[in-house]
Parts: sequence; C-alpha cells; structure tokens
Amino acid sequence: MAQHRVIVVGGGLAGLAASARIAEAGLPVDLFSVVPVKRSHSVCAQGGINACNEVARQQGYSEYEHFDETIYGGDFLADQHPVLEMANWAPRIIDLLDRMGVPFNRTSEGYRDLRLFGGSLFKRTHFSGATTGQQLIYALDEQVRRYESEGQVTKHEFWEFLWPVIEDTAQGQRCVGIVAQDMRTMQVRAFRADAVVMATGGCGLVFGKSTNSIICTGAAAARCFRAGVWYANPEMIQVHPTAIPGADKLRLMSESARGEGGRVWVPRKKGDNRPPRDIPEGERYYFLEERFPAYGNIVPRDIATREIFGICVNDGLGVNGENQVYLDLTHKDPEYLTKKLGGILEIYEKFVGVDPRFEPMKIFPAVHYSMGGLWTSFTKGSYNPETPRTKHKSGTRPPILAEVGQGMQLGALNNAQTNITGLYAFGEVSFAYHGANRLGANALLSCIFDGLFCGVSVANYVRDGAPAKAPAGDLASAGYDRVVAQEQQKVKRWVDSASAGAAEPRTNPYVIGKELGDEMTAACTVVRHQTRLAQCAGKLAELRERHDSATLADGASWSNQALGYARALSDMLVLAEAIAKGATERKESRGAHYRTDFPERDDANFMKTTLAKHQGGTTSLEFIPIDASLILPTARTYGKKDDKATPKPAMAASAS
Amino acid sequence: MSATASSSTHSRPVARPEAKPGRTVRFRVKRCDGPGKPVRWETFAVKPEPGANIISCLQQIAASPVTVDGQKTTPVAWDSGCLEEVCGACTMVINGKTRQSCSCLIDEYAPNEGDEITLEPMSKFPVVRDLWVDRARLFDALKRVKAWVPIDGTYSLGAGPRESAEKSESRYVMSTCMSCGCCLEACPQYQLEENPDKWPASFIGAHAMNQARLFNEHATGAVLKGARLDTLMGEGGVNDCGNAQNCVQVCPKHIPLTESIATIGRSVTIHAIAKWFRG
Amino acid sequence: MPSFIEKNHFLLRRLHSLTGIVPIGVFLIAHLLTNSSIIWGGGALREGFDGAPFKDRGVAYFQEEVAWINTQVPHLLLIEVTLWVSLAFHAILGVYYARSGSANTDRYPYQGNWRYRVQRLSGYLGFLFIFYHVATLRWGWTFLIPGGTEWSFRYSASTLAAALHGSTTGLTTVGVVVSLFYFAGVSLLVFHFANGLWTAAITWGLTISKAAQRRWGYVCAGLGAALMLMAWMSLFGALAVKHDDARRIESQLHHKAAGLAPKAAEIADTN
Repeated sequence: MAQHRVIVVGGGLAGLAASARIAEAGLPVDLFSVVPVKRSHSVCAQGGINACNEVARQQGYSEYEHFDETIYGGDFLADQHPVLEMANWAPRIIDLLDRMGVPFNRTSEGYRDLRLFGGSLFKRTHFSGATTGQQLIYALDEQVRRYESEGQVTKHEFWEFLWPVIEDTAQGQRCVGIVAQDMRTMQVRAFRADAVVMATGGCGLVFGKSTNSIICTGAAAARCFRAGVWYANPEMIQVHPTAIPGADKLRLMSESARGEGGRVWVPRKKGDNRPPRDIPEGERYYFLEERFPAYGNIVPRDIATREIFGICVNDGLGVNGENQVYLDLTHKDPEYLTKKLGGILEIYEKFVGVDPRFEPMKIFPAVHYSMGGLWTSFTKGSYNPETPRTKHKSGTRPPILAEVGQGMQLGALNNAQTNITGLYAFGEVSFAYHGANRLGANALLSCIFDGLFCGVSVANYVRDGAPAKAPAGDLASAGYDRVVAQEQQKVKRWVDSASAGAAEPRTNPYVIGKELGDEMTAACTVVRHQTRLAQCAGKLAELRERHDSATLADGASWSNQALGYARALSDMLVLAEAIAKGATERKESRGAHYRTDFPERDDANFMKTTLAKHQGGTTSLEFIPIDASLILPTARTYGKKDDKATPKPAMAASAS
Repeated sequence: MSATASSSTHSRPVARPEAKPGRTVRFRVKRCDGPGKPVRWETFAVKPEPGANIISCLQQIAASPVTVDGQKTTPVAWDSGCLEEVCGACTMVINGKTRQSCSCLIDEYAPNEGDEITLEPMSKFPVVRDLWVDRARLFDALKRVKAWVPIDGTYSLGAGPRESAEKSESRYVMSTCMSCGCCLEACPQYQLEENPDKWPASFIGAHAMNQARLFNEHATGAVLKGARLDTLMGEGGVNDCGNAQNCVQVCPKHIPLTESIATIGRSVTIHAIAKWFRG
Repeated sequence: MPSFIEKNHFLLRRLHSLTGIVPIGVFLIAHLLTNSSIIWGGGALREGFDGAPFKDRGVAYFQEEVAWINTQVPHLLLIEVTLWVSLAFHAILGVYYARSGSANTDRYPYQGNWRYRVQRLSGYLGFLFIFYHVATLRWGWTFLIPGGTEWSFRYSASTLAAALHGSTTGLTTVGVVVSLFYFAGVSLLVFHFANGLWTAAITWGLTISKAAQRRWGYVCAGLGAALMLMAWMSLFGALAVKHDDARRIESQLHHKAAGLAPKAAEIADTN
C-alpha cells in the first residue's frame, strides 16, 4: 500500500499550524503556497490574539465570556459549538506560541502584557508590538522549517493551486489530491493526497483595493466552489473602520490604535478646515465615545465602520469635506506609542509622510476580511444545555469552566471538513467562527485553532477514514489526468489569446479586474440596497462576458504572471457573483451586512447560514439552520445611546 | 520598538518635496525573459496617481505594456505581496540601491516631469524573470542555523519561559526580519551562487546570523546554540564577514545586524575556546 | 589548499586576525617609533652632539637606535623569522579571503563600505610595499633602488636618504617616484592596521553594541593618527636628511665608538 500523504494548500497561519500538527502526527505533508510561506498575508495582521488570561480571569472574565462575546460580536450567525471550543483553546494556543518563542510584549515583571480590543470590556488581547501576525507566522514558519529539514514537510513554494481532484465513490465524493502549476516553469501536474487542507485565506482582491495582500484573490476557494464545494455566508465581508487610503492598496491601521487609547473624531462644524491641533476640544465630535459610552472607540468593526461611513457620507462631516475622519493618538506619550504601536505608526509615517505620534491620522474604512468561506461541518462536543442560555452577563460566573471537548469533539473526522470528504478548510477560507462580523484579534486565533485542533481530525481521517483502505497513491491515474487536461486547456486558452502590447480596455484583464473591484466596493461593502445590488448583478454579467473574450499581452511559457492574473480573475468573478447574490438574498441587516432597505435583523428568517452551491456554471443559494443551541440571540446594541447616526437609505457610495 | 523611538521632541517629519501633479515619469527596467536569456533594457512612461509607489506604476505598465518608443512588449514580471513593507517580497534594486518597491513613493523619487527611475532585479540571487528573483538560498540559510525553538510538540505543556520586557523587546526587533534579502544584496562579501551544493561554504549573510542570535537568546532556543555556532564558525560563517556594515544601513526593519554579527563573533570565540579545552 | 582551509577554517581565520596584531602590528608600532626618531630623536639628549643642530642630533639618535637593534643578532633573527612567517601567512590568506568579496562602493558609498574596500586594497599594495622595502633595504637588491646605494645599518640615515632620493646628491625624479610609493605604502599600511584592529574587535566579539564599536573606533582612529604621524615623520625626516651630512655624523659616531678624533674619523671614512 502506498504511503499516506496530506496536502496543505496555503502557508499562512492556518496552513502552517495544520502542517506542523499533521507532521507531528507522523504524516508527511506537501505544503503548497503561491509565495514563500513566510510572506503569506498573515504577516499583515497587527493588533493581537485574544485569549482569556489569568489577570482577566481574576477580574471576572472567562473563556465562556470570550465565547459569548464572539457570538454576540458575530451577530448570532456563527454555529456556536465550534466557537466555544475555540475560546476554550485560546489560552493553550497562547502558551504554545509563547513556548515557540514569540516575543510577546511583557510587563515589568516579565509576564505577557495585554491590551484592550474591540467588543470586550476586558484586556484579553496578547500582542507582539503592532506586528503580532508577523511574529506568530514567523514562529510557525520556524516550526515547519524544522519539520522540513527533517523531511516530514515538503514545501512547494511558487506553486499555484488550480483544482481539487475529486473522486466519485459509492460513499460519495472524496478528495484525493490537487492539480497545481509551478508559477516559474508553468508546469501543470497532479499531486496525490489522502486529505487536502485548504488554508488559502480571504478574497480582498475581489474588491480591488483592500487591506489584503496582492495574493488574496480568493481564487483557490472559488476553484473549490466551482468544483462542487459549498460556500457559506459569502455576503459577510468585513470592512475595517480604520485604513490608510492609498493608490495601490488601503493599508490597515490596526484596531490596537484604538485599543491603546486612540480616539476617533471629526470637527463638529461642517466645513471646519482648521488644522486638527487648532481645533479646541469642545469643537471636536468624538462620535463613537458619545454614542457608545460603554465601549467608546472600541465598538466592533462593523459598527465603527458604519458610524464613520455615516458621518462622512450622510452627515458630510468628513475631515476637509472628504471621506476621512481623524484617528487621534497625539494625547498619548510618544515613547509609549512607539513601544506599543511602533510597527503600524511607522507604516503610516512611511506612506503618508506624517508622524501619527504628533498629528492625528486620517483614516477611512476598507475591505478587510471575509467571514464567509468554504462551508465546513463539525461534531458537537459535550456541553449541551437543555435550552440555550441568555446572553452572559459580563464579569459574572460562567456556567461552565473550560475543558477540552465541550464545544467540538476532538479528533472527529468531520471537524472543519467541507461537503467533500477528505477536503478540509482552515482559517479565513472557512466560514466558521465569526458569523456576520469578526471581532478584532480573533482571526489569528481561529487560524491557529483550526490548524491545531482540526489538524487532528485530518490525521484521524487519513488513518481511520476512506484512505485507510484505499490510499490515494494506489488510485488509477485517469482521475488525475482528467483534471490536468482540464487545467492545461485553460492555460492554452490564455496563451493562444496572447499578443504583445495592451488589449483594448473591453478585453483587458487588468481593466476588467479594476472595474470588478470598483463595482464590488460600491455595491457590496458598508451599505447595501436592492436596487444597487441588482445593478451590480448586471455589471458582473457584463464583466464575465468580457472576460470570456479577454486577451493577454504575454504568451510566455515561463513565469507568465499575466496568465495567472487572468485565470484568477475568472474565479474572482464567480466569487463576486456569490457575494452579490448572498447580499441580495439576505433581506435583513446583520453584522457586516447592512441593508438600507431592510435595516433590522430578522432572526426568524435569516438566523441561518447562506449556503451557495455552484453547478453547471450557475450559483444557487439556500439558507440552512445554524447551531444556536448555547446562547439565545439578543439585540446587538453595544449600549448605543441614540440611533441618530444610523446610515439613512442613501445610495451606497464608494468606500474608498 | 522601532529605531525611530528616541526622538521625543515634538518635531514634525521633514516635508516631502512637492510632486508635480499630472507629470510623466519614466521607468527604465532591466528585463530578462528567464534564466540564460539575454538582458535588455526597456523604458516605460507612466503618469503616477497621487501617492503612487513602484508597484502601482508596474501595475499600470502591466495593463498597458508599451515602451516609450511605442514598441509593444510583455508585462514586466515582479514579485510582491503585502504592499506595506512587512512581507519582504517586492525587494528590488531601485536607482542602484536595494529596497522594497512598495514603500518607494514616486512623489519622493520622481517629483518632476520626465524624472527617471531605474528598476533592476536583485543581483545576488538568480533571476526568474525580469525583476523576480529566486531567494531559496536565503531560506536554506535559516535551516542551516536551525532558526527555531526546539519545542517538544504542540501539546499543551503550559507557558513558555518568563522573560523580561527588555529581553523581549530586543528579541522582537531581531524577530522582525522579513527575509527580504536587502542585507545580502548590499553586502560586498555575499555573492551570487546558483549551485545549492556550494551554499554551505558560501558566506551566509547577516540575516542568518541575526536569526541565530535571536534563538540563542531564547531560553529554550539556546539548547541548539552549540549546533548553530558549529555552523557559523565554519566556512561561510561569521568569520567571513568583512565588516563593511552595509547590511545595517539598508535593513528596512532597522535590525541591529552588526550587533548580531558581533554577538555571534563573541559566542563563537567562547565556543571555540571551550570546545578546545573540553574536547 | 581549499580543503585545508575548509578544515581549519576557524583557526586560520582567527590566526589571520591575530597575526595582524601580534606580531605584525606590534612590530609596526616599534618600527615606526624607531624610524620617526630621525626627527624626534633630536629632542633626546645625545652625548657628543650637545652643540649640534636639532636635525643632526636626530640623525645621530636614529643611527644609534638602528645600530643597536641590528647588533642584537640572535634576537633579531628570531624576530625576523617570526615576522616573515606571520607576514606570509597574513598576506597569502588575506589575498585568498579578499578575493571572495567584490566591492560595491559605487552603489553603497557608505564610510564603512569604503573602509572595507580600502582594507583590501591596502592589503595588496601594502604587501607589495613591504616586499620592496625589505628587498631594497635589507636584502641589498640594489637594482631596485636606481641611483641609491646599498643600505647599511652602520650608515642607516645616509643610505636610507640615498635610497629615497635616488642619489647621494639630492632628490631625483626616480627618487620622487620612490618617495611617493613610500608615502602611499606606509599610509595604507597604517590604515590597514588601525582599521584591522577595529574589525578584529568585532570579529572576536569584544565590541558588540553600536556605541562600543563607535568608541573603539575612536581609539583605533587615534592610534592610527599617531602611527600615521610617525610614519610621515619617518619618511619626511629621512627625505630631509642630506646624504653627506648624515654620513659625517655616522662616521663621527663610529670613530667616537672606536676612540678616534672626529677629524681623523672623517679622513678614515672617506677612504
């Protein structure tokens, strides 16, 4: 019998954590990434990673409250058991990262320091300067490099995932490998595997400019979707309230800037164009603090985003009449700021040319994270109260003390598995945990949790599931050859279209890509409306048609980046359609999804997962029930005082 | 935690030169279709958007790859990722100096009509295509110095070693190395070497010594200190450093690379003497 | 050779660093101290030259110093052998090491990078200079000193002046070339030593922090400046010497040692 192997696609936090865990379980891992794994988008995560800790615990916090906050923050859309397990595991994950040598900020006594983050009244966010994601991925990268040097992990960097190889069996569909392309030699070939873990991150590039890296096209997820994997909650796109506008991307200004005391404000008087330092305290409108006395500047992201959007677009109070507000840190000690936020303040200074320690930053919301993603299942754990409890009262005794296996059953074969057996989805590419809005500093947690916790499921599946009797290495090659041929056909289509110089705008992939980004940003971000979404559907149809006849300026059979982009664009268009469709069909407002024509949450009809399926080139939607067996939904107000500033039914403007 | 930490005076940064809006900037690009293919230079004219950087201009060129002579050509190939100078991918040689292209603002480099910017691939790594190079050797070096903490595994075993804030901050700075390769590109001692068999005997470079120091200074990481020093006292190790100290000048993360090199120098000295007496 | 170098890489590298300081560097200091006495020796009291001009007293002091050193035969031999072995070792390995780098001061014109470049350049040129210096003045390869006479420790200043002037009567064109070569040679060697001392402290791990490296840099620069001053004093001091004047003083010393009257000594010497 052939030796078992596992493929992990994506070398960010989730992919690396999965690789380490699966390699540790004794299975050889093939790790695929379009960039050297150390350069994955996880490096951009800034603020920190949440976990209950001893200090917070003694102040009344608990893993259970972390769980409760995450469900509430996600506006009751997430399946609840997996979230409970993740919150329970969080402290162990911090300890593990600590052992790996992550230089977490320390207190004077040498303990891990903590900071405040959105959606919580407790300091429960661990951090490493303002480049926590970078430090965490480096730690995992180092561990995987260790396995690599031992021969347990084989890296395939600059290899692009093209398609999953799915076998039809009597027991249903089963994933037995992938087809990938070397981006340098352009070689297309199949790789066999007994299980495949997709850990390919988000899809920010569908929106053109976002806080995401240039590699976050969502193409890998879209290819799985097109191959029959279900995609859930596509419409749940997080728009981060604070980003730095730029020509090529919208650079993130971490929530930690507010967690460390940053204040968001605009001049009270419309048209007050004085420099910020000349505007006296009384003439500044700290709108988040005034409207949310309890949480102030650290309300969750969807809320902060809508408030900022409303202040600028509806009230016309943006700084200098433009779409921007002040994020002010100048009242803090510059030394302190450098210590706690050096990395991000440097980014601002580098790209804007102004030192944010001495002058307020000008920021505006930008597309940041996809709560939606490939649909995954799970096996419920041991905590199953007879009836769901009401929302946890902050700082009170939790109903349960954290234990492994309360939320999800450790090692169950279907944890984080998609509807295709043997095909798993970890991290941002999965729809789990964050519901309709992700809390700040929960993303790093969910990525690593998936890798560590659900990695066990992958190993168990390979040993006890279908591959136990029929290893992928023993299968006939026909199934692989068919997918290779399909992908070679696509390559040929693009190479054949090539002629040097620019195509006319109508058929130029880069122009089509830009129009896609502009359209999606205008129609499917902060504020959505039926009319605009219908218009968007029309535009997407037009773009798809144009893309079908698009041509390349490069027909090279070596390191052809134009081909890679054009091919990814066809996948991004499919994903864009699913996002727009989800936004259209979800006729309510929940979390990041805000409909001006349906401004209220509608639990009766829509406390459900949007499930998108793609078959024969068309995307269909259905709504399926969620696991809400632990906490009863309540109104998600964060103690807001007035609702004066809720965006009025205005046509959504461009968020950039 | 950055090197800019010290200035607590309320001085504003120096104003950038006022860039002419609507100007045309020329990009002279060193091109090569692949390994072994001839090198050629092509010049493109771009009208940069306000706040544009090298990447956004290369994107414009990709959408419309026509040289200033009106010659239709292929898009320029280049490597990039985060676009905020934290992933290290987009390093290239701009106007003769190595740096990240994402943080290279056109308004600064070419504020006037007709200003020219020269783009070249890094010279110390084999070119894949155009501005895209293969930095595999850089990551191989991290394996050679065992740049990791040898933990027992991912099972729950409690917290890591406690550490003073000062120690953690100093390790943090070292740990911000994004493997971009600037220190190697600028180093007169580091040479292009395409044959992986020759990597072990070729100078390993500042970044790897910094990583070795980073893990030597971690309580658990120090377990492998001897193995790291054995590697670094051999050929291609710390003794090959010529102390030109260009590395620290070009490091975009302001990592005290020369301090790391000297620290490894000291460790190696002690290690060698101890080894000689201990056997 | 590469395999031997590979096997003993660390030892060879550190010996290379060490030999540059001890014995070569130490000798350099002593040598420049002696040679520059051709000027500063004038300030030191010389018996029998009480009324003589400062310049003459310097020549006398220098002659006595050189004569003393050159008569310590067994020690001198040991010193010379040690020096030659060290120099050969330092130079051969130095060339081997220097060839592994390639200068890039055109793109990165930082001060440290310039020093890296000049360190290697001064190594090459310095070795050439040392060879010429020793071959001409020690081994008597007079064909390399056109117009000069064979150097003798008995007539150290006068023969030295002739070698530098290119004649016994005054500075010739050849002499200008030789002197410029000396100027470049000694200057580069002093730089090589001072900068080498600075980098050695990093290599051995004595100076770690930026501040420590800067401070040690000041010390090395100070030492370098002092040595540079001595080197230039030696060279210009020797150039300022008139062959015949020096010869007169040297003879005076010989005769004084032999107990002859100065006048007779002059007559005896010219024969």
